[in-house]
Amino acid sequence: MSTLYRLFLRSQLVRGRIIGLGSLGLLAVCLGFAVGASDGAGPRDGAELVSEYGLALFVPVSVLLFASAVLGDPNEDGTLVYLWLRPVARWKIVAAAVAAALSLCLPLVVLPMALAGALAGGGGLVVGAIASCTLATVSYVGIFTWLGLRVKRALVWGLAYILIWEGFVARAGSTPATLSVRASTRSVLGRISDAPRDFVEVGSIAAVLVPLLAAAVALWLTVRRLASQDVA
Amino acid sequence: MIQVAGVSRWFGDVVAVSDVSFDVGPGVTALLGPNGAGKSTLLRLLCGLTTPSQGTVRVLGANPRGDPSLYRRIGLVPQQEAVFERLTGLAFVALAAELHGLPSPETAAEGALRLVDLDPGDRRPLSTYSKGMRQRVKVAQALVHEPEVVVLDEPLEGLDPRQRLHLIDLFRTLGAEGRCVLVSSHVLDEVERFGSRVLVMAQGRLAAEGDFHDIRELMDDRPHRLRLRTDRPHALAGALVASGAATAVRLEVQDPQSDRTTGSGVLVDTVDVAAFRATVAGAAQQAGARLLELTPLDDDLESVFRYLVAPVPPEPR
Amino acid sequence: MSDARILDRGYRRYDGARLGARGAIGSLTRQSALRALGLRRTFWAKVFPLLSAIIAYLPATVFVGIAALFPDELLDPDAVIPGYGEYYSFITAAIVVFVALVGPEVLCPDRRDGMLGLYLASPLTRDTYLLAKALAVVPVLAIVTVGPPLLLLVGRTFADAGPESFGDFLTVLVRILVSGLAISAAYTAISLAAASLTDRRAVASAGVILLLLVTSVATTVLVELGGSERLLLLNLFLLPFELVQRVYGELGSEPQLATVELVAANAAWTLGAGFLVRERYRRLQVTR
Repeated sequence: MSTLYRLFLRSQLVRGRIIGLGSLGLLAVCLGFAVGASDGAGPRDGAELVSEYGLALFVPVSVLLFASAVLGDPNEDGTLVYLWLRPVARWKIVAAAVAAALSLCLPLVVLPMALAGALAGGGGLVVGAIASCTLATVSYVGIFTWLGLRVKRALVWGLAYILIWEGFVARAGSTPATLSVRASTRSVLGRISDAPRDFVEVGSIAAVLVPLLAAAVALWLTVRRLASQDVA
Repeated sequence: MIQVAGVSRWFGDVVAVSDVSFDVGPGVTALLGPNGAGKSTLLRLLCGLTTPSQGTVRVLGANPRGDPSLYRRIGLVPQQEAVFERLTGLAFVALAAELHGLPSPETAAEGALRLVDLDPGDRRPLSTYSKGMRQRVKVAQALVHEPEVVVLDEPLEGLDPRQRLHLIDLFRTLGAEGRCVLVSSHVLDEVERFGSRVLVMAQGRLAAEGDFHDIRELMDDRPHRLRLRTDRPHALAGALVASGAATAVRLEVQDPQSDRTTGSGVLVDTVDVAAFRATVAGAAQQAGARLLELTPLDDDLESVFRYLVAPVPPEPR
Repeated sequence: MSDARILDRGYRRYDGARLGARGAIGSLTRQSALRALGLRRTFWAKVFPLLSAIIAYLPATVFVGIAALFPDELLDPDAVIPGYGEYYSFITAAIVVFVALVGPEVLCPDRRDGMLGLYLASPLTRDTYLLAKALAVVPVLAIVTVGPPLLLLVGRTFADAGPESFGDFLTVLVRILVSGLAISAAYTAISLAAASLTDRRAVASAGVILLLLVTSVATTVLVELGGSERLLLLNLFLLPFELVQRVYGELGSEPQLATVELVAANAAWTLGAGFLVRERYRRLQVTR
């Protein structure tokens, strides 16, 4: 499995992608610094930064770029056949792909947001940023790895999901919010940090379980898909 | 080693493979067919890359779909050019060796690369490789684990003539070792060099299988064409028609000067080559003609292929 | 008498009328617009345009229904139904998704598939090629920027809840057209600019959405923390919609920004993005 892991990791290390997402991470740090340096900023501002910039935009989009490509790119360009036609269990291929995506996404996403949290408010906000962004990353890696294998142009489908489901439908009421990674992880952030109570839309157990369950279901579907799909 | 029984594969309204049945044993077998005949789909079915809509495929006695352990014994050169662009040739083949669980992947990869005439020490990434080099590295990854069944989809495309000959020799060697080598191609003169066993596909159906000389013999509706060279073409043509051995004759050259030195060509159509061969000497003697040469014109693979994939001519009214 | 006939002689010279550059621009515009909308393509190519259109038109349909079903005595339409400029806040997500898709869809495949070389071998130059593409994108985007408020206007008018006089009707109509086309023009330039930077449609689409969202979040945070309000002129998510409010004579959510600043910022982004596309194509080496 380590061979596959190294292959996936290497294929994901695309300079443009790293620079682009590194810049977004840097922007998060700069915004954290601006919040921390501002006289009028309160606990809400730091939490809003982690929530609105991190959980709503930076984390899902960054994870989408990596996770949807990790199996999606070989599937589309036809190189998947060189992994598929080997005596390797399908779950091992998926596990290696997910491990590679997590290895890249976690430092690229969680570190800048933790730093932004530290600069913006420190204390509970740092822990909240680390916990919520890690949970969101794990969940989105599962969802977008499946999406990458399931559809062509997964980036566009993923963006539509982020904008329309997470950003629009899930904000319409408490029931869709329960099924939203964004609302769940925002609730985790709200409980851990000093954010105002209105951050908590989802109960504690559901806020942790729903994103993890979404990832688990998505990974199960990915293994099934990989085993049953036609390979070019 | 490969058994295909009543296999069809359709994609929506498009039937790619239609009710195909055949067995393939050890040795080299060529899969022939024009573009769009269903060759690649058939090869993908054999490797389990897609499932039959109907029928069964067995490779080494097992269903190639859903049993990854079988892939230890199968090697595939896929049609698409894409490879892991950022890897070197050695790393690409070593990756295959590692995934096949070989004890020393790098050594095996070096051996496979040498087999296809590539330098294992080449440090350039595959993105810089020419099409011919890519084809050979694809062959190397298919052979690195020494599979019993080797499936190659247009493996000679993009190769220069020297490399083609080298790979053709390699395939023949693999076949002689008792492996089942199935090669698809539409370049007929190359296929002819693999050996004489062919599977011919046309419009998704298996048009013929077996030795192509035998297939030609079975084509009763297509007269065989031969060329005779003789010093008295008119007389010989008349004698052949009179004997009933030829169904049609055509004179090629009418220049009397050349008739005396090199002889003239007579194109003869016959439905029974064996009977014709038995008759022609007597007919020549009877006509007082010297028979200088007798050459069959359409028992080569190209003619067989052309007859098989071309539409059947309408029955004369 | 022979009944023989030849159905196909293979390649033949084109003997019909030659329409020149204008014909080529028209043809490319038409084909690009059809492609962007997924017409004459597979079902999956139609999904996103259709989804965007549904999200864009659904609120307008509901509002028109409310205006038609409930009499004025029971329900004041002006209190329930948003203004024409305000309506865009309901459909921003649909517009952004559509913008992110359309520009890359009409520009990227031509470079990736080598069609650009064929187009440039026709009477089209690089500039007229880009003009045709822009002419295709603006009306396609207008489907979600002009269409929904237009539906709202027509629906309200038929339900006797629209403008009171014909003059008012015309005024609203002109405002709808101006504001819708202003949004379309700005986002056409931005989406084409993103599409000119990469051959991959999905990456360009992601780039457009990221650009819009990142400028929005970053400038909002900075302004809330006491930064200059003029930073909002970098907010691409806000700018076109804020300008629309001014077209309708309202101050919008950022009243501190002068109308002239908004006009200038929108124009600068549109022209700047247009300039970037032109430069990219001017320098582009077409090898196949």
